Formats: sequence, C-alpha cells, structure tokens
Amino acid sequence: MMSQDATGPAIQETSEELQRTVTRMFGRSLHIRTLDTGSCASCEQEIRLLAAPHYDLHRLGFFFTPAPRHADLLMVTGPMVQVFETAARKTYDAIPDPKIVVATGACALGGVYQPDPFTRGGIGSSFPVDVWIPGCPPSPLALLQGLLVAVGRLADKVKDLDFALNGTPT
Amino acid sequence: MPLWTLRGLRRGIVTTRYPARPDPSAALLPTPPVFRPDVLTPGLADRLVAVCPSRALARDGDLLVFDVGACTACGRCRAEAPHAAGDSGEFELAATVREHLVKQIPLGGRSA
Repeated sequence: MMSQDATGPAIQETSEELQRTVTRMFGRSLHIRTLDTGSCASCEQEIRLLAAPHYDLHRLGFFFTPAPRHADLLMVTGPMVQVFETAARKTYDAIPDPKIVVATGACALGGVYQPDPFTRGGIGSSFPVDVWIPGCPPSPLALLQGLLVAVGRLADKVKDLDFALNGTPT
Repeated sequence: MPLWTLRGLRRGIVTTRYPARPDPSAALLPTPPVFRPDVLTPGLADRLVAVCPSRALARDGDLLVFDVGACTACGRCRAEAPHAAGDSGEFELAATVREHLVKQIPLGGRSA
C-alpha cells in the first residue's frame, strides 16, 4: 500500500521525468502498428504513403511493424465498430508498456459517426489516447507532424489557433 | 529501410529534422475553415450547423462551437456562406488534448 507522501510531488516529478525519457528514446526509434477499426481505408492509404519515397518516414526513425508485440505506437483509424472492440483491446494489451496511442482521422476523433448499436462513434471511449490527428483523411504531412508531436519532437500548435478570421476570407 | 540505414550509418545521422523546408504540395490540401466573427449572426450560425455533415459545428448561445477534430474539410460551410467562412490553410493539427481541438467563435454580427 502506498503511503501518503509517496503520492505527492516527488512521484509526480518522477513520472514526468520518466515520460520525458520515454519520449526521448521513442524519438529516435519508434515502431508503429496500425489498427483499422472500421474506417473507409482513406486513412490507410495516407498512412501507406508515409513509407513512400516522397515522405520517407524511415528517415525520421519511424518504422511500421505488423506485430503488436514489436510496436511502441498504436495508430488507430475508424470509428471503432463494436464487433471489433475485443480485437482492438487485445491489440492494445499486446503492445508492451510504455505505449502511445494515436487517433487518426475524423472518424476516430468522433466526428463522422454517432455512437449507435454498431459503432462507438470514435475511439476515445476504448483507449486512453495520447495524440489526436484531425483530417478526413489526414494528409501524410499531417500524420508526420502528429507522430513527431507524439514523441515530443514538435509542439502541437493547434491549441494556439482560434479559427476566427478578421477580414474577408480568401 | 535498408538504404536509409546504410546511408545513416555512413553519415552518422540517425534521424533527420522535419520539416527541412516547407512542402510545396501543402497549399493544395483541403483544410478546415476559419470563420469571421464580425459577420456571423445566430441565424447564419444555425444555417452553417445545418449544412455541416459531420457534426463539427454547433451553436451554444452566442458562440459557434467548431470541433476541428470532427471537421472533414468538405467545404459546405464555405459554399453556404462564402463571406463568413474561408480556408484556414492549416493542416498540421495534431493535438495532445482533445479539448484543444474544440474552438469557440463568438457571434459578433448584427441580425438582419
């Protein structure tokens, strides 16, 4: 049982330090497992393009792996159809800790489908998600930026945007 | 992977920085809209909410709530109100907190 002072700022500091160490190590070598939870496959097309010479994500130290047990990052697309949730959970559990979950595309972020008897309407209720990448589909450039945000090599800039415009729209 | 691994070993560079330079194709990407608070009225906001196919827009009193994460950049709001909605040109939208993607735009326009 944890004593009272063990949950204090010292633990907090240690966990943040651990988090920084993990993202620093992932920043040099990261293996990605993609998981399609019922997407239309547009996101998969864009993810596949990441490995093409135009985008060449290997130069950034990122690699795709087919095995969850070899993966560090789970890239989830689709609105999480309910029949797939058990398999998705197993994939998540099979990835060794520490792991990163990236929600990819508007469906996974809860935009396109409502929760109904067939889908969860987004993956947020199934996994703890670390990075959200909007887009329908997100372009490979957006995916690259999302992956670099996930490993702490770029800062997320969307929180400073207000999407309000003064003047005539172009 | 093998080619890059060999090249990296030879040059002693493990990973490169990104982006090395702006990508010329980025300007062609469909991007979420931006809205003009000074011409948005509650009535116009309701029309925009009605045309949005992916539930990215909602109206909350005097605010237009724009969920960038739910936006599919379809352009229907821009077609509905070209004077009030434009192209943001932003595509690098990854967020670490879901709530950071939900934007509140004040409705500052006068009702006609």
